[in-house]
Amino acid sequence: MKKTLTVNLGGTVFHIDEDAYQLLDKYLTNLREHFKREEGSDEIMNDFELRISELLNARVRLGFEVITIENIEEVIKRMGKPEEIFASEEDSENKEEQKAPIYQETKEATDKKQLMRDPDNRILGGVAAGIAAYMNWDATAVRLIMILLLFIPHSTFFVTITYIICWLVMPQAKSATDKLRMHGQSVTVENIGKTVTDGFEKVSNKMNDFASSDKPRNGLQRLGDVVVTIFGFLLKFIAILVGVILLPVLLLVVFVLVVVAFALMVGGTGILYHLSPFGSDVLAGAPLPLAIMGCIGVILLIGIPVFSLLYAICTQLFKIKPLPVPFRWTLLGFWIVSLILCGIYVYQMGISGINTLPWYNIFTV
Amino acid sequence: MNAENVKSQMRKGILEYCILLLLKKEPAYTSDIIQKLQEAQLIVVEGTLYPLLTRLKNSGLLSYQWIESTQGPPRKYYKLTSEGEEFLGELEQSWQELEDTISHLRNN
Repeated sequence: MKKTLTVNLGGTVFHIDEDAYQLLDKYLTNLREHFKREEGSDEIMNDFELRISELLNARVRLGFEVITIENIEEVIKRMGKPEEIFASEEDSENKEEQKAPIYQETKEATDKKQLMRDPDNRILGGVAAGIAAYMNWDATAVRLIMILLLFIPHSTFFVTITYIICWLVMPQAKSATDKLRMHGQSVTVENIGKTVTDGFEKVSNKMNDFASSDKPRNGLQRLGDVVVTIFGFLLKFIAILVGVILLPVLLLVVFVLVVVAFALMVGGTGILYHLSPFGSDVLAGAPLPLAIMGCIGVILLIGIPVFSLLYAICTQLFKIKPLPVPFRWTLLGFWIVSLILCGIYVYQMGISGINTLPWYNIFTV
Repeated sequence: MNAENVKSQMRKGILEYCILLLLKKEPAYTSDIIQKLQEAQLIVVEGTLYPLLTRLKNSGLLSYQWIESTQGPPRKYYKLTSEGEEFLGELEQSWQELEDTISHLRNN
């Protein structure tokens, strides 16, 4: 026994099996996606629908009341798979590339489970629901544990931070494919079909990130939405405020660091003496190479995070593009190196050795 | 370079010409056009034709009207416009030239 749907295709009503409907819908969506750039795309799609309706109608007149997935496969074979239709429109050089299966992409099953935020069962960010889906636990149980942990002293902070980090790091399961991966189900047309008809699939892109599911929200979830919106607004507000306040300070820090670094580069070791007014007991006992090493180490140790923070603030305030990923990794690498340098310095000189660094007093004044 | 590729390119190149030729004799339903082209092995899948017909119509070479059908919804009935006939004339001339060139090359 199978559930059927009633569809209006080119002005004719058909009873169609659920899986057949999924396939046809996907087929038409793919075609529409392809033709949407073209003038008269509506008309083309209309022609397609009319023709399919004609072909299916011939089937119905033979006495088969319900359209099955085999019928649809036959129709698609006759009309041509999207890649066949598009390939004949492209130049022959592109032909091979065009053959990349467009509507069959969902058939390649990726069974690997992925940890994602579940937008359908979320109350705040869907973190708990996502973890529950990943571990095959009950979402309510995960939430209860989280709430319990909140009341244990000392772990409150930890849980909150973990939650926020998870929220930032875990991607949201947006498409039907994502949602299947989240549950660890293989991505097949049938499974996608299940997901779509279960109302999981996000229908419109217009809704914002917080409400990207068309599933009705219950009272508790709506309360969660309000909290999320308020906190989101507060966070943004605070971030901007902090950014505006921090900006001059950070700029100054960067400026000083750059000056010191530059002086060190140009003046070499001699500069350490010139900077002596700042560090009263310059080089007291510190061997010169070690002091220089410590200097560079501290400059980078402070400079890199400050620079990153500054840049991050600027991207938020002035719509500057974020740093390219390789650059970030390089920065991280340098920072770790500087950390090691400082470690060696502190190890050699002891904690008090820090203040033998010539420009130590700039920061303590 | 493979023969299939070149062959399909050749067929593709004359597709518009063939459609116009078919419609010159008599107006036809889309499904008739498809059938004839498939018999002639000019197209493999039907889907290729719909965008093509729409393009021809949009550039004013074809026009259509809806004709009631005894079985199912009304269907599009395509015919050549006067502009289309002119266009076809040009294509025929160019085809004639091609034919001459090929036969010339073949016989020498």
